Amino acid sequence: MLVTYAEAAHWPIDARRLDLVEEFRRKPRGPHGEELQKLLHRMRWAGDFETGGGRYVLVVKTPGKEWLLGRLPRERGKPIEVMGNRLFTSIAEGEWEVFKLRWEALTGTVLPEHLREALA
Amino acid sequence: MTDTTSVLGYAWPMIVSAGEKIAFHLSSTTLKSAEAALVRVRCADPDPAGPGLRLAEMPTTLDGTLALSHQPLLPGSCAVVADAPTLVEFQSFTVGAFVWPTMPGARGQTLVSRWSDRGGGWRLGLDADGHLEFELSAEGETWRAATRQPLQVREWALVGGAWDAAAGVLRVMVHSHDAQGGRERRAVVEGKGPTTMQWPVGAPLVIAAQAKDAISYGAFYDGKIDRPRLYADALGVDALQRLCDAQEIVPADARLVAAWNFSLDIPSSTVTDMSANRLHGALRQMPARGMTGANWDGSSDRWTERPAQYGAIHFHSDDMADAEWAPSVEVAIPADWRSGFYALRLRAHPAGADPVESFVGFFVRADLGKARAPVAFVASTGTFLAYANSALRLDQVHAESMLEGLLTLSRDDLYLQEHRELGLSTYDTHADGSGWCISSGKRPILNMRPRGNVFNYGNDTHLIDWLEETGQDYDIVTDDDIHRHGLQVLKPYRCVITGSHPEYISREIWDAFDAYQQSGGRHMYLGGNGFYWRIAYHPTQPHTIEMRRGMTGLRTWEGEAGETALGFTGEPSSTWRSNGRPPQRLVGVGFDAQVFTHSSPYRWLDGARSPALTWLTDGIDLDRPLGDFGLRGNGAAGVEVDRLEFTLGTPPGAVWLATADRLGYGGTPAPEELRTLHRGVMGDQNAQVRADLVYFPTANGGGVFSTGSIAWVCALSHGNYDNNVSRLTGNVLRRFLDERPLSISS
Repeated sequence: MLVTYAEAAHWPIDARRLDLVEEFRRKPRGPHGEELQKLLHRMRWAGDFETGGGRYVLVVKTPGKEWLLGRLPRERGKPIEVMGNRLFTSIAEGEWEVFKLRWEALTGTVLPEHLREALA
Repeated sequence: MTDTTSVLGYAWPMIVSAGEKIAFHLSSTTLKSAEAALVRVRCADPDPAGPGLRLAEMPTTLDGTLALSHQPLLPGSCAVVADAPTLVEFQSFTVGAFVWPTMPGARGQTLVSRWSDRGGGWRLGLDADGHLEFELSAEGETWRAATRQPLQVREWALVGGAWDAAAGVLRVMVHSHDAQGGRERRAVVEGKGPTTMQWPVGAPLVIAAQAKDAISYGAFYDGKIDRPRLYADALGVDALQRLCDAQEIVPADARLVAAWNFSLDIPSSTVTDMSANRLHGALRQMPARGMTGANWDGSSDRWTERPAQYGAIHFHSDDMADAEWAPSVEVAIPADWRSGFYALRLRAHPAGADPVESFVGFFVRADLGKARAPVAFVASTGTFLAYANSALRLDQVHAESMLEGLLTLSRDDLYLQEHRELGLSTYDTHADGSGWCISSGKRPILNMRPRGNVFNYGNDTHLIDWLEETGQDYDIVTDDDIHRHGLQVLKPYRCVITGSHPEYISREIWDAFDAYQQSGGRHMYLGGNGFYWRIAYHPTQPHTIEMRRGMTGLRTWEGEAGETALGFTGEPSSTWRSNGRPPQRLVGVGFDAQVFTHSSPYRWLDGARSPALTWLTDGIDLDRPLGDFGLRGNGAAGVEVDRLEFTLGTPPGAVWLATADRLGYGGTPAPEELRTLHRGVMGDQNAQVRADLVYFPTANGGGVFSTGSIAWVCALSHGNYDNNVSRLTGNVLRRFLDERPLSISS
């Protein structure tokens, strides 16, 4: 049995690389430079598990129009948490919000004010 | 948020002819009734960026309020041997088998039992910590013996339980096959037992579970069982080992009660007892058969060649092949209905809750041999079944990285996360980590209906929408029927179109397409990653497929060595490429890569500029990109893409019309596209990561046109259907419907 492990992504995140945050903010759906690709891979592989939570997901409220933030638990059968007050009107908006949450959780830092805002 | 799950169901049969009856098997835990109507599906994808949901109500006698009730789903596979007089004729006895447990320690599990919750009995099983335990129970008293070490996960061991009535002793026995490196679990543990037992009345003997009552079972076991035996004598471990090792049993052995040989009748749901008592059993919920036994030595990977080494069944506590729901309503499909994708729509407006709109998908087939239109679109029902209730995005750690963005989950996904009793898809793993090999339509399928996740079914309806929009009359035929009736299904049509992702193909289906092409048929393959995996249909159960992923191909799980042959037929499974039939041979292109970052346009190549192909390129500017738009990644070439490759069978006469070979860093090659490991394999550096557009004439004036991209059909509606993807598709269809023979110069 070939197993894919959640611990497999190990690219180190440098909390000083706010340029990568800025790059993502400008283009949440890409294309992205090589270093941002590596950062995103670390985040997307199992970054939320590393910080003790379920995977951030978007839950479709209205197809093609509205999405809610949610958290998908690692364990099968456990309900997906849907955050009814975290509504996005584009996937890019959701991507940016989750990126910020992941950055702060994985680096243990707080983003500067100008990078905490909504999408440009 | 529209509630798509408060009422669920399945249609049986899943595919009907007009004039036939169809039953809907429905269940709801919350609704007492719903408003029902049948709809014809033109577009099942609600995305407002595309055509949106397009469903036409089709009046029938079913219209109106439909009463609903709750019907449970009871997953878990086991073998059930009906009660028999011989099962109560003995006192001392031994039960034994070879086992390969996959979840020891997860919960209590039963290996072999004759038990009822009310009357007790006996059971050999694993306790909640994975220790082998043997238990007898009668009249409120229980005797138990258990090992002190849990069984080793995924390691073969002989296990047994014996009761010596004369001595008043219970015994559990374990003999590990491989005793090295920490795997040794050898143990014989004795405990106090009764000196006489009153066996329960009317209890079945169950392998891999125990009976709870007359109709339900519990304590399901996860893992393989090989050669279970029952002897009316208290045996020691060495005697049990000798008897279980023996390939040939002695039916006249006075001690022998039953010796099941799972290597017999592997495609069936029967387990055969070789003893003179003929205690044959019936399998529930289709566990995986034809699996390597404790004696498998690697001398063959086919159960048809060494059946005696394939005496194991892999049981799963979550196997689900038949919901066994009672029909809720039946309706005769009017004889004048066109073939098509259809669905039962169920609506309700519960107070204080989201409005309910749930669908049950089904198909109306064109009558065999009676084409009502010159073109047939193939409902890829084999592929729909393979993906039925896919939980890949919920369960697999790579999903978000693969998809290059946040998972966007639907109400169906929220439901599936909590309701695994629906049974998952062949993309998923069972609770024990092993792959799902079997998928059946006899259970609710969330992603084969309008509003469902769009991959395959939803995407394919974009082609139906385009056919309707362009006024092209068409019939619908299905994989299941092509498998069953072969070429006869395709032959009446001047042109046959396969959709976005006809990925799962039986040998019979492949042969039918090959014969169709060679007999002058015209085949438009408007998808990506088609004709990829080799599957089998169940020999007797309709709408039930099996696949084994093996160890190559883009596989979301990997099978075990020796287990790539299909239990339903004995044929090898895995990819068609590893079966000597790369897709390039049939449709000119074959799967090479995934790309989810964005989709791309094709650029035209010199092959398309031939004056002989003006019928194909008419009205299209060959100096402009082809398909720089679309609903899947904003391009016509993307998601899963195929390339032409002459060394893999692309016909030498094929014309390479266009290519999308600049897929960027998200272009990720399929594993079988890499012989060795090196840098430069991704789409930003690797020209073999691409989608190719090809055309070739076939024998007798036939032809094939392939686009090699899943995203293609989702670009058709762009710009109100006025675009070069739509134009090209129309040009090819028009020429393919023209009786004049096709050739390179046609």
